[in-house]
Amino acid sequence: MKEYILLMVSAALVNNVILARFLGLCSFMGVTTRIDTAIGMGMATTFVITVSSIADWAVQTYLLQPYNLGYLRTVTFILVIAAAVQFTEMTVKKVSPPLFKMLGIYLPLITTNCAVLGVALLLVEGKMNFISSVLFAFGSSIGYSLVMVIFAGLRERLVLADVPRLFAGPPIGFIVASLLALAFMGFSGMSTN
Amino acid sequence: MAHVIAVEGDKVWLEPEQTTSCGGCASSGACGAKGIGSVANRLEARRFQIINAEGLIVGERVVVGVREHALLRASVTAYVLPLAAMLGGGIVGQWAVGSDGVTITAMIIGLLLGLALSRLSAGRLLNRGDLTPHFLRRARPGENCHS
Repeated sequence: MKEYILLMVSAALVNNVILARFLGLCSFMGVTTRIDTAIGMGMATTFVITVSSIADWAVQTYLLQPYNLGYLRTVTFILVIAAAVQFTEMTVKKVSPPLFKMLGIYLPLITTNCAVLGVALLLVEGKMNFISSVLFAFGSSIGYSLVMVIFAGLRERLVLADVPRLFAGPPIGFIVASLLALAFMGFSGMSTN
Repeated sequence: MAHVIAVEGDKVWLEPEQTTSCGGCASSGACGAKGIGSVANRLEARRFQIINAEGLIVGERVVVGVREHALLRASVTAYVLPLAAMLGGGIVGQWAVGSDGVTITAMIIGLLLGLALSRLSAGRLLNRGDLTPHFLRRARPGENCHS
């Protein structure tokens, strides 16, 4: 049990997909202007990363590995992720059309979010079993959502700050992101304890 | 932001304005998502109706909004409920039998149950009016989502 908790904490904080692995930076800069939208994007990405990682694990274990088709891994995973996003979109549309109208905006962006593919490839690289894969994917996506919300909160405050004209907008955003990455580096000390 | 595409009696049809999902991103020029969200049929699927109390005419641009925390509630309903049910199913499957095949099956059953719960919850949100967009004001000339 302890190892599973450590795996999740490590995936969420120590090896955070955005600030330690530098994945999903497009949505990190593009959808963090408001906390509400960052939460929406974070939840949608958490769902897609977890579901597609389970599907990717199954494809890797029952199809690619037994038939020595490892060279098709990236292409197959991209296909699985696109299918997972499409499935999510169709399901949300079917379950509640008003929900789809409100939240559908996030789904196309997730298809090209490299964090989704990155997590799937990392869990194959780590040769994880099924439970570890699910927990690693869930922990990684929680870490992604956490950073999105923290950064959105900081950017909302930045709008009210008196920033020099040359630094206003994206430049100060990048500076804040780098400071946030430095702060998250502090968690790396946890892995040696 | 949305623009009026049709007036029907005391209601108007609005189509949301959307460039790309990450139109405000500094690196949108090099981003792979560019253009995916701007496909016309995607916007068509997101057309919605509001009551025309302000005398809006076709072509006008307006700013619409939803209730505070509506987006959060909607996200929880659409994503968190099915995900929690799926993970719950996985935990039960793993605890009861401990084989990967059973756990995956339990997760799929959990996901389906979660989707059913999500549908019920979405119906409740809709009845309370939490998912209904409301007219806020007419858009200023040249105004966009990022200004």
